Formats: sequence, structure tokens, C-alpha cells
Amino acid sequence: MLSALIWIPIAGAILMGLLPASWESRRCRKIALAIAFIPFIWTLWLGIQFNTLQTHLQFVEYIHWIDWLGLNYHLGVDGLSFPLIFLNSFLTVIAIWISDRSKERPRFYYSMILLLSAGAAGAFLAQDLLLFFLFYELEIIPLYFLIAIWGGERRGYAAMKFLIYTALSGILVLASFLGLVWFSGATTFDYEPLRNQNLPIELQLALLGMLLVGLFIKIPIFPFHTWLPDAHVEASTPISVLLAGVLLKLGTYGLLRFGVGFFLDAWVILAPWLAILAAISALYGAFTAIAQTDMKKVVAYSSIAHMAYILLAAAATTPLSLMAAEFQMVSHGLISALLFTLVGVVYKKTGTRDVKVLRGLLNPERGLPLTGSLMILGVMASAGIPGMVGFIAEFLVFRGAFPIFTIPTVLCIIGTGLTAVYFLLMINRVFFGRLSEQFSQIPPVAFREHLPSLALTALIFIFGIQPAWVVRWSEAQTTALIISPALQSTIIIEQKEATGNRQLGNKQAIKQQATDIS
Amino acid sequence: MVSTKRKSTQHPLEEYIQRLETGKALLKDTPENIVEVVGILKSYGVVLDAYSRNLIYISEKQFLVLFPFFKYFNGEVNPQKLLRYWWHDRINYEYAEYCMKAMFWHGGGGLDKYLDTDEFKELADRAIRARWKGNFIMLGLHKAFPEFLLEHTRQMSYYSGLGQFWRVMADIFLSLSDRYDRGEIQSIPQVVQHILDGLVTDAAKPITYSVKLAGKVYDLLPKSAGLTFLMDTGVPYVEAIFFRGTPFLGTVSYNAQEYQIPFDQAMFNYGALYADPLPIGGSGIPPTLLMQDMRHYLPDYLRKVYQSKIRKEDDVRVQICQSFQKSMFCVTTATIQGLAPHPLDTKDPEEKDVNRAYLKGWMNRFLTSRLLEVNR
Repeated sequence: MLSALIWIPIAGAILMGLLPASWESRRCRKIALAIAFIPFIWTLWLGIQFNTLQTHLQFVEYIHWIDWLGLNYHLGVDGLSFPLIFLNSFLTVIAIWISDRSKERPRFYYSMILLLSAGAAGAFLAQDLLLFFLFYELEIIPLYFLIAIWGGERRGYAAMKFLIYTALSGILVLASFLGLVWFSGATTFDYEPLRNQNLPIELQLALLGMLLVGLFIKIPIFPFHTWLPDAHVEASTPISVLLAGVLLKLGTYGLLRFGVGFFLDAWVILAPWLAILAAISALYGAFTAIAQTDMKKVVAYSSIAHMAYILLAAAATTPLSLMAAEFQMVSHGLISALLFTLVGVVYKKTGTRDVKVLRGLLNPERGLPLTGSLMILGVMASAGIPGMVGFIAEFLVFRGAFPIFTIPTVLCIIGTGLTAVYFLLMINRVFFGRLSEQFSQIPPVAFREHLPSLALTALIFIFGIQPAWVVRWSEAQTTALIISPALQSTIIIEQKEATGNRQLGNKQAIKQQATDIS
Repeated sequence: MVSTKRKSTQHPLEEYIQRLETGKALLKDTPENIVEVVGILKSYGVVLDAYSRNLIYISEKQFLVLFPFFKYFNGEVNPQKLLRYWWHDRINYEYAEYCMKAMFWHGGGGLDKYLDTDEFKELADRAIRARWKGNFIMLGLHKAFPEFLLEHTRQMSYYSGLGQFWRVMADIFLSLSDRYDRGEIQSIPQVVQHILDGLVTDAAKPITYSVKLAGKVYDLLPKSAGLTFLMDTGVPYVEAIFFRGTPFLGTVSYNAQEYQIPFDQAMFNYGALYADPLPIGGSGIPPTLLMQDMRHYLPDYLRKVYQSKIRKEDDVRVQICQSFQKSMFCVTTATIQGLAPHPLDTKDPEEKDVNRAYLKGWMNRFLTSRLLEVNR
């Protein structure tokens, strides 16, 4: 069942490559869209079948592959990966939908997008470290081509920078995985046995350190971030949507799955430093965003700031904060996808993203009023205005992290306040005031061009008003990352009795409780 | 030898002075301009007709009604009309009132002067007493605050004055459209001439106003006051609406204490000839209502012109405003020609000098107008 999420896009990518070269871009786009819809519908169906109360893997698929290497084709989905699988299949549809109808080399382009989607799905579904790594690396190739071929003026530079950074990330992640398996004496790369490894703490710290640097590049976290603004600026809009919405999540997913899941003892030791780094990254992203004049760069640096909240929540390592990290991934995926989509619309219609040039686009007759309105909603969501998904995510992050890392959390809260500053500066300049004369003849935005933004906005509101529809998928699993299922019921009762209890979120205290009970 | 060549300083809008001196209009004569101007004036004529009927209805039937809830219904109040009103499927009579208040505020002309005369005060007082006959509270208040109801009566006079002015203008614009449909109008100068002829024909038409209270007619603007269509309503209207306007544009916040608004009302330039069409559709911009009303009555040939543009009819209110501005420069041309001290194409050097000084006066006011934009 899960294989379909990987192999349908791969088969689709091959099919796209085999289409007649004479077929026009519009037709290729329709076919790619139809292919992308299949995994999306499939994901929804899996969601219906998914048992949210279970913490173990569901829909498991296991095929022996290369026994001597310990590599097996082992797929499964749990509460940690399902929301990201949904995000991946949904945003793939969105990315293809918003792709230019007159794209050059369309067969190759849509093949690469489908391959990218397959890679991300495979990484989220993999239950084997090497398999994860294969998919983690697989998505680099199509993304490189997507930036290098269909990117902006400096696409070559941006694509190469992305390739070097993410290749380095891959090496570090692989080194960490290999070290974990070899030193723990495991015979396979399967996740589950490795969760119970008992390596010396010094070794754990070394392996976790390598893993973290690898993942920080991917997320990205300051100071490993410099590839991202270039990649975003040079990538076309659909690729920015996938990059921000899905691919960066591979890094944060890795933090939870491997960092917390495999190296819990070392993670707790490093956690205070991770929280400080998260605060620095959040403030750096926010302050840098203020200084930007390219709308896409503003959103890109905002991404860096908002991804740092996930690190903060993960560092806190409480059931609530881990759930918050997962929620923030979904929230950021939707909001950044919306913002990049809308920036893309502005760019397509006006030919510029320069906030010094754009002016008055909210003009009701000749501007882009609906685009501007949706942008304001997206910005509000990003700034954490109640009623939208961003508020729930950030509230959960700060509520979960505050008792553990008070000062870094306060700094991150300042960072979220700055979100309003840099986005309002952008909105005020681009959308308010009198429409510039040079943009008084811009073409209108068709409804079909607005449809993806409207769908994203709807989800932002739906999950903002009814966050339980996201939380229910991951709550049990994120808790299980640090607490054994047997303990969960006890902890939940205590949680209700003493919300905010600082010790409750402390991993050592939890371990002590576990020892006492046993 | 003494040079007889007249030394003239070049006015920044010299080109337009010369255009007027050679019988041309302020607006360029192009095929698209003629379609736009005639088409928009047709829809404007329909809307003005409705505005004028409502203004006259309010002045006559809503005289000193303190809470005129149904003043826009022209006496026909029924659930169906009420629903249409709430659905906003209606003429925005508020715009007519906005123009009336702008005229009332800026004043000028014989009507304004007459409303300050003792004769008018006496007539108004009689009408007020007749209106509140038997109502001791209102009569007591009137005695305590004699200016209050008097000011309302002045306002009612403006309702009537503007209603009568637009009545004439609506007919001029609708007959222009009829002539265009018959092929008699084919150029912008012909449009200007048609408007000028209409203004001249009705120039001396008396402006009168009376109300019927308890079966008795009370004159407020008697014929004997000598108020006429052109000089006492037309010219003040052009001054108030085309030139001065009101500094409440909706998108721009002025700080009067910072002298962002001229101290002297006569220096205002917020009128139709200066209006920026791009913010049309934004809240708080009165011309939006007019554009919205005209949108319903666009002739097919003008609609086709709008549909050929990049946004088709998505930005129709901006397009209407741009066409409307063009048409208003035609009306202004007719006004300039009509009020000129001598025929503008005179060959007499002295008359020419006088005319040139007169035209420069107008051009000075056009410096910050949309004249160049409409001709671009």
C-alpha cells in the first residue's frame, strides 16, 4: 500500500519521459497533475484507515533486499510521518498545478517533480536507515536539475551551492548512520532495534553531532543556511513551494526520528545548546528578513526563523513540545507554500519581486486584490494570529518549550514578534498605497491561478480552528518517542493534574518515574 | 524699427491654449476618444436623469423631514424596492447628495448669494412656519435656534438647484447620444459644440424652487430672484465639482494642521478633472459610486472598447472614470468657450490678447489636472 506513494510517482516520472516530444507543455502538465493526484487520493485513503491511537508502525511492508549489507525494503507509517506524507502529496499537486503552462522541456520538468515527490515520500516512509538515506539523497538530484534548468539568472550558482551543501549533509548523515549500526553491533539498518542501542554517551554525542550538522544544513539552521536563500530566489515558484513545504521537513523529521528517537541520552545533554542555537537562528532569520527587498528572500529568511522553532520544540523534549514540533512542521509547510505561491503570482503578473518597486497591489480594480488579501492572511498566519494554524503551532512550541528553556523560548517569542515586523513592512510596501503607474496594466489573475492559494488558506484556517485534526495523528507517536507506551496513560493523567510542571517535561525526571514504576 | 511681434511667455500648457484658439477641444480628437466620450455621456445622462429626479423629489417632498429614511425611494416604498435597495441593486443617490453638498460648501454664483439675502430668509421663515404649523416644540426650537432650519432650507434649495441643472444636462447628453447614433456626431469638436449649444440654449432658463405645504405653495427661489441655469448653477457646479471638490479621497489622509490642505477653499484642486482614476473602487472614494451607477447603462459599443483592454471589464470602473474624465474635459472646453470674453478664434489682436489672458487663467488651473494624462 505504502509503496504506491513511492512507485506511482516514479512510474509517472518514467511515463512523462516517454511521452512524445511533440506534446505541448499544457498537455504534459495535465498528465503530471493526474499522476500526482493518485498518491494524494491514496494518502487520504490511508488517512481514513490509519489508527491514530496506535504508536506502532502501520501498513508495514517488508522485503528482504540486500541481506549481507543489512539493507531491507522496509516501509511503514506512524504518527510522525503521516502528516508529512500528506503534506508531500498535497504540495506536489499544488506545485504541478501552479507550474507554468508553457514550461520549456515539460516532460523532463514534470518527471523531476514526480521523482522529487517520490524521494520525499520514500524518506518519510522508510524504516531502514540506508533506505532513508537512499531517498534522502535521491531527492537531491531532481531538485538540482529543477533549480539548474528552470531557475532564475543565477540558477547555476544556486543549484551548485545547493548540491554541495546537501551532499555534505548526506555524507554526515550517512556517517552517523553507519557509525550507529557498526558500533551498536546491529545486523540491519532497521529503525526499531537501533532505538534500544546502548552506546557510550561520548560515542552517542559524536554520532549525534555529525547527524545534527547534516540535518542543520538541510533544515537549515544558522549558520548552515546560506544555500537556502539562493536556492529559493533562483528556483521557480513550484520548486520553492516543494522546497519549503516538504524538503526542509526531511531535516526536522530527522531530528525527531533519529536525533530524539535514537540518541535520546546524548540529545538531552545537547538540548540546551540546541535551544540556544534555535533562538539564534530564529532571531537571525527574522532580523535578516527585515533587511530584504526581494519578497522571496523575505519568505525564505522567514522560513529559517520558523524552522528554528521546530528545533526549539525538539530540544525541549517533552511530549507537548515534540507534538508542537510536528505541528509546526505541518503549519510551516502550509504557510510557506501559500506565501511562496502568492509571491509567485505577484512575480508572474508584475515581473518583479522587488519591494522597492512594487506598490499598491491591493488596488481593487487594477491590482491583485485577492492575491493581496490572501497574502495578508498568510502573513497573519505566519505571525501567529489566532484562528490560523500558525498560532496553534507557535503556541504549542512556546508552551512546550518555555518550562524547559525559558530564555531561548522568550527569544524565539521575540522572533515571532519580528515576523509581524518584516512581513508588515513587505505588505505595506507592496500592497498598500497608490498602485504604481507601471503596474496599472497588469493582467488579471484567473480563478484557477488562485485555486491552490485558496486551498492552502482553507487548510490554514481549518487546522487553526480545529487543531485536533492534526494533533490526533501525531500525539501518540511523539509521546512514544520519549515515553514507553505503558507509561503514557500515567503521564497523561499527571499532565492533566499538573500542566506546566517543569519536571514533567524533563526527560530525566520521566526516566526516574519509569524506574520507580518498574 | 519697433518690432510688432508680440512678446509672449510660453505657458507650460501653451499647446492647449493654441488648441482652444484654433477651435479644437482640450481632448484630442481620436476615433477611440469619440466612442468613449459619447458612450460615457450616454450612461452619464441616464444616471443624471435619475439623480436629478431624486434631488427634485427630496427638495419638494422631503422638505424639512428631519429623518428622511426613504428619501431615495422617490415616494415609492414597497418590500420589493426595499429588498433591491438592501441588495444594493440601485442607483447610488448618495453621490448626487455628495455633489450637492460640495456645491453648497463651496458656494459661488447667484444662488449662493441669494440664499444669504433677507428676502430668502423671509421666504424660508414662512415656509418653515408653515411646515411646523401647530408643532410648538419645533417652532420653539426654530425661535431659539433660527439658523438651524434656515440652513436646512438653504440646503433644500441646493437640492433643487442641482436637480434642475442636471435635468438640463441629462437631456443634453442623451440628445448627444441620439445624434451620434444617427451619425451626426463624428468628432470631439462636434461633441463640444453640441454641449455648448445646449448650455447656451438653456443659459437663461430660470432656476426656481417652491414647496407645497398644506395645499399652499411657498416660493423659496422665486422667478423674480433672477436666478438662471448657466451662471447661477452651471458655473458654480463646474467650479465646485470639476475643480475644487473635497479633500476626502479615501486613500489619502490629509492633515489640515500641517497645511496639507490649502487654507483657501478657492485653491482646492480635488475635483473631477484632478481625480486619480486608479484608486476607484476603494472605500471612501465618492466617484466610485458614480462609476458604479454608470456601469449599468454603458452602450454596447463602449462595452466592446472596455472588453478589448487587458482586464476586459474587471477594471471597468477605472476605465469608466478615465472615459468620464475625458468627457468632463469636453464639458469644460464648452464652458471655456461659452464664458470666453470674445470668440476664441477671433482675429482681432486686442481681443486675442484678452482671450489669451483668459485662457492662461484656465490653464494655470489645469497645471496639476489630468489634462496631460487623458491626452497621453
